[in-house]
Amino acid sequence: MEQKPIIQVRNLKKSFFLPHQRHDSLVEFLSNPLRIFKPGGEQFTVLKDIDLDIHQGEFVGIMGRNGSGKSTLLKIMAGIYTPTSGSVKVTGKMVPFLELGVGFNPELTGRENIYLNGIILGMPKDFLKKKYEEIVEFSELEKFMDMPLKNYSSGMQVRLAFSIAIMADADIYILDEVLAVGDLAFQKKCFDVFRNYKEQKKTVVLVTHAPGSVRDFCDRAVFLKDGVLQINGSVEEVIKAYEQG
Amino acid sequence: MSNYLELLKEFIKTDFQLRYKNSYLGLIWIVLKPLALFGVIYTVFSNIMSMDDDYMMSLLLGIMFITFFSEGVMMGLGSLMAKSGIILKIKFPREIVVFSSVTIAFIDFLFNMIVFAIFTIFTPVVITLPSILLFIAAIFSLYFLIMGAALFLSVIFIKLRDIHNLMQVVLQLFFWATPIYYKLEMLPERLQNIILLNPLTRILIAVRHGLITGGDVGVEDFLKLAPISLFCLIFLLFGILFFRNRVTKIAEYF
Repeated sequence: MEQKPIIQVRNLKKSFFLPHQRHDSLVEFLSNPLRIFKPGGEQFTVLKDIDLDIHQGEFVGIMGRNGSGKSTLLKIMAGIYTPTSGSVKVTGKMVPFLELGVGFNPELTGRENIYLNGIILGMPKDFLKKKYEEIVEFSELEKFMDMPLKNYSSGMQVRLAFSIAIMADADIYILDEVLAVGDLAFQKKCFDVFRNYKEQKKTVVLVTHAPGSVRDFCDRAVFLKDGVLQINGSVEEVIKAYEQG
Repeated sequence: MSNYLELLKEFIKTDFQLRYKNSYLGLIWIVLKPLALFGVIYTVFSNIMSMDDDYMMSLLLGIMFITFFSEGVMMGLGSLMAKSGIILKIKFPREIVVFSSVTIAFIDFLFNMIVFAIFTIFTPVVITLPSILLFIAAIFSLYFLIMGAALFLSVIFIKLRDIHNLMQVVLQLFFWATPIYYKLEMLPERLQNIILLNPLTRILIAVRHGLITGGDVGVEDFLKLAPISLFCLIFLLFGILFFRNRVTKIAEYF
């Protein structure tokens, strides 16, 4: 029986307008007001005719070189960019981890940042209150919770961010290079979390440059090159293509 | 939906906290700035002309009023840009960002109203129930006007950075074109008519009537304010339409 895909990408095309020169000053605007409607520049196509189905419970890796359109694809799935043409349909609750610690403020304490970041990620405040101890414990930063974030090392900051992010309960997780952070011991804990997602039949879309992670976690993978989805197949196939560039 | 309300609260809370972090006087600046401006203008003008208590209170209220307008517009203008890091990573209704900035300016205004209330202990004012209602109606109109402006400007600012400097000049113009430190009756009639075209003038008249000389507030005062309130509401609706229309693509322009 064919199950309906949880993420359905059809004929997706995305192009950005790249101005030759930024026209954001008033003098330039006044020198030729019509240019604001028709500024000089060119369309740059980042994604071309992407078709992709992802089903419930799948762990899909996306590989490709820098600038191949991976992050743009994730951002369209997450609803941050709109497609130029084509469509993306997502059924179910999605949490995008396009970056860890979104909204983190260096002046606020660790505790305050947990609530701020958690709410930005869509978690209710009551829920965060309940999970607070768990977040702190996972991050192993008990002693630093009342300290401003600016006094944290960068490693500590991502550990805190990661610990908050994994509390988000969703059907679909979109991960942009955020598989494992911190030192070796903490990375092990991160991997356990993702193994757990896999056991719970969560759907995960993972962008990474690490063939090892794709091998360990992904059921299948896709390979993007210059905005074209070149391979949609087995993990080994994609890793081979990625390693050849 | 309830989560968006929490997001709004969180933005308001943290931005409010952060604004004066690392500053010595902290939140006191909220009331200190308008008070200092009041002190300067009062000192200058009390030496030029004679002043009664009503004028002093009118000046104080006028400065608090225009401060709310200027700060609300400027904070709203920068709101999308200030949150670009979050907007680029998470999907949520972008209006929340603008709404929270304008609301922070409103909270500042409420603090200033407390200071105004303290002044009334020494300089009595006449307030009645209808006059309070007139004041609230006027403040709502002002809020709509600020919010409408913020919705337009926050989007335009992303593409046209100069709007920031331009608005600083425009706000200066509004400061002078609103009877804050002068009385409308002092001007020649032709000029009065021009000043009355400024919606802020009519809102400020209602605000003062409501909070200083509220003894004779009647239906006709509400009727006088009504067209302005309607104008502000329509302006806000256009702002919402403009914002909704443009904001989906905004992430690409940061």
